[in-house]
Amino acid sequence: MSLIDRKLLDQLREILEPDGVVSRATELKVYECDGWTVEKSVPDVLLLPRTTAQLSAILAALHRSGIAFVPRGAGTGLSGGCLPLNAPAMICTSKMNRIVEIDLENRRVVAESGVVNLHVTNAVKSKGYFYAPDPSSQVACTIGGNIAENSGGPHTLKYGVTTNHVLALELVLPDGEIVELGGATDERCGYDLVGAVVGAEGTTGIVTRATLKLMREPENHRTLLAAFPDADTATHAVSMIIASGIVPAALEMMDQLIIRAVEEAFQVGLPLDAGAVLIIELEGLEAGLTAYADEVAKIVSAAGASSVRLARDEAERALLWKARKRALGAVGRLAPNYATQDGVVPRTCLPRILRVIADVSRRYDLRIGNVLHAGDGNLHPVVLYDERDPDQVRRAIDAGREILKACIEMGGSLTGEHGIGVEKIGEMALMFSPDDLRVMTELRHVFDPMERSNPGKVIPQPGACVEVAAPRRQVPI
Amino acid sequence: MRRGRRTAPPGPNLVEAEIVAALTSSSLENRLDSIVGSGHVRAPRDFEARAADAIVEPHSVDQICELVRMCEVDRIPLAPVGAARSLAGIRRSPVALGISMARLARLIAHEPHDMTVVAEAGITVGELNAAIAGAGQRLPVDPCKPNLITLGSLIGAAHSGPLRLSEGTSRDLLIGIRFVGHGANLVHGGGRVVKNVAGYDLMKLMGGSFGTLGIVTEATFKVRPIPNDYSLAIVPFALASEAFAAAYILNDALPLSNLDILSPGLGRRFDSDHRFLLMIGFSGSPLEIDYQAERIRDLLRARGEILEGDAGLRSYELLRDTDFYPAALSAQIAVPPALLARALEACGNDIEYRAHAGSGVAQIMLADQQSPDDAVHIVARWRQAAHAARGTLRLLAAAPEIRSSLEFFDTPNEGALALMRRLKAAFDPVGIFNPGCFVGGI
Repeated sequence: MSLIDRKLLDQLREILEPDGVVSRATELKVYECDGWTVEKSVPDVLLLPRTTAQLSAILAALHRSGIAFVPRGAGTGLSGGCLPLNAPAMICTSKMNRIVEIDLENRRVVAESGVVNLHVTNAVKSKGYFYAPDPSSQVACTIGGNIAENSGGPHTLKYGVTTNHVLALELVLPDGEIVELGGATDERCGYDLVGAVVGAEGTTGIVTRATLKLMREPENHRTLLAAFPDADTATHAVSMIIASGIVPAALEMMDQLIIRAVEEAFQVGLPLDAGAVLIIELEGLEAGLTAYADEVAKIVSAAGASSVRLARDEAERALLWKARKRALGAVGRLAPNYATQDGVVPRTCLPRILRVIADVSRRYDLRIGNVLHAGDGNLHPVVLYDERDPDQVRRAIDAGREILKACIEMGGSLTGEHGIGVEKIGEMALMFSPDDLRVMTELRHVFDPMERSNPGKVIPQPGACVEVAAPRRQVPI
Repeated sequence: MRRGRRTAPPGPNLVEAEIVAALTSSSLENRLDSIVGSGHVRAPRDFEARAADAIVEPHSVDQICELVRMCEVDRIPLAPVGAARSLAGIRRSPVALGISMARLARLIAHEPHDMTVVAEAGITVGELNAAIAGAGQRLPVDPCKPNLITLGSLIGAAHSGPLRLSEGTSRDLLIGIRFVGHGANLVHGGGRVVKNVAGYDLMKLMGGSFGTLGIVTEATFKVRPIPNDYSLAIVPFALASEAFAAAYILNDALPLSNLDILSPGLGRRFDSDHRFLLMIGFSGSPLEIDYQAERIRDLLRARGEILEGDAGLRSYELLRDTDFYPAALSAQIAVPPALLARALEACGNDIEYRAHAGSGVAQIMLADQQSPDDAVHIVARWRQAAHAARGTLRLLAAAPEIRSSLEFFDTPNEGALALMRRLKAAFDPVGIFNPGCFVGGI
């Protein structure tokens, strides 16, 4: 592995402003991990470009020295996607945070990759538009990070994930070359390289700018909170709603452990005795909404809901969503550490997978809460542990793996929106054959033949036994 | 050039005479027979003749793997064909071997509660939708004449229709794929769940790749509920600009199903007065339908008529099936939506078009035969109109006599094209998959 020497460091300082190069160990400690806190590794240097030209110059300099790098947005990822693995340089896009162009007539925004997700919607909200992908971390996470991970959020049930909302990209290849991909519409000219870069977890270079689609705000919403005696009944209700032909904009579930944590943190009036709640959001024309909401209320009641509450106003709706989107933060009060998983199963397998998770929780003697994008079959089991106890860390990792394996056995996926990162790289071979992985590697090499952009991610090394039970580089606490 | 490996090696130059000789040789026919069974190697019919010199009809993925292996060894160019309309419209010369997917056309699984469907690539969109309609669901993509468009063609040629406004395109709905790639390997990407970001997105790569990266054998799509009711408002305008202005107002006001404008020549079936027709599709519950009908009447000052129920659906199907493939010259233009009216105007007043007004995409055509020189000028004008509006243009079909002088695809910018060439070289190192008719000669 090549290292960053003084000469290269001087070059980088010349390209960036003095505050654009961070190399002091104490300052770098902040960047040792993302939301996947099980593994930690500090980069040798952190680079903070302000422009595409600077970023291109940095990458060209690193290229000449054969140095690998890891891109980073806000570090809110949950799979260790920006954990440096044999990558001495970390490049953070947080200073590239301008919204370059707002074009409401054509419903699009051009934003630099360091722009915070929610800032896009905030910039157009007053005119009745929004940017659809809404990950729970949207107050902090960046557009660049969303593109790398192909992020979703509660409203993907109706609107799809990030890849459905990106028209064009400016990408800096690992050798510093700047390329423009995509165009004015979904009609691509040639191969859909935008589609290849979105979700590639930063292994194809660094996105510096994106043209994003905007959506028109719906006329109105109805947000329902339905409480159930147990998780089984709640997931049954999910199937009943889908079977009725009504597709909500969002269909979210929280189990008892999460409900109690959220209620303790935010006091939003969730029923503490419930085994699970569903947040069901319908949106569209006011003319149809009341009838749809009544029908959904009837369906969930018939499916066994103990209570159904309709948010009376925007304030109550906002409160429910605050509870949902900050659920993970609330869990932080229950244990020193938690690891959020991201499995997917066919919707109809939700009852089965929740039973598996309950069983795993018992056998590994760990508390596991569940937050689900139930409408998509996307589950986020939250495994609570204490990182000071190595045995708990090991059990937390094993428990997560067992859950993901079960997802795949049910015809599901390792990840619905968080990405493979380092967390799930060991399980890729459960989902994909060696031929699949070889072709994916060939695709990666089109952009990054030397594998210098975020090395060690997405594709397991052939023959390498991936064993992450012990953190790669344990940082003293 | 700064990068060592950026330029793709040139594809092998297959000498046509050699291929013809090889194909007509009895030994090759015997080999094809031995792979797919006798009776399943045949001469091309109708459109197929412009896409391929000979057609084979495999009935298993293993047979496709065998065919790819043989073609790689012998350097025989091949391409998947459905009804062969997409490739027949754009290939300058046929490939040696057309792989018909007619015997790989099974619906493998429909999971109504998961809202997903898995099917082999040879099933048509029409057949698929007929099979799942009983469960109240559909694959909401509506290419022209869906009974002729196989899933393979839908994906490979990126067909879409009026519903793209509300439902997106196959790009948005395709969640899993299997294809036979180089080395005769069966490769899969994605999965059977509606949300999945594991691994690189091979679905996007295959979409719109015109069979140049491999042969798609199976696809998994998200499906959606069929709306309770559908109505179609048809509103005539003397001027295109008025029709587009009305369209933009409506698109801002309502979540419409489709919003299209037909030029007078194409609108004849609906209106005898030679006017531009704005066709506004809307759907939902009876309450939503009533509300939208009222809003539309209100915004358009009660002009035009609203067709409800079956009458609306029948007219929508006529709109959907507006066919640009038989034209002497036809193209699809794609620009930012607000610039579409101006771009179409710049294409000239001799064209007929169907514009998806809310999406910025339109199909345009000239029905009459053009001389090769005229065709070159016309396409240059169309292309200039698209580029002036920051958009793109690709030809859908051109009469065989004028094909050799025309560029069917825009040329991507240099950086993007270099990546595309490397992608092609990586996925098709021998150069057998539908060579020579895609962007930049790929």
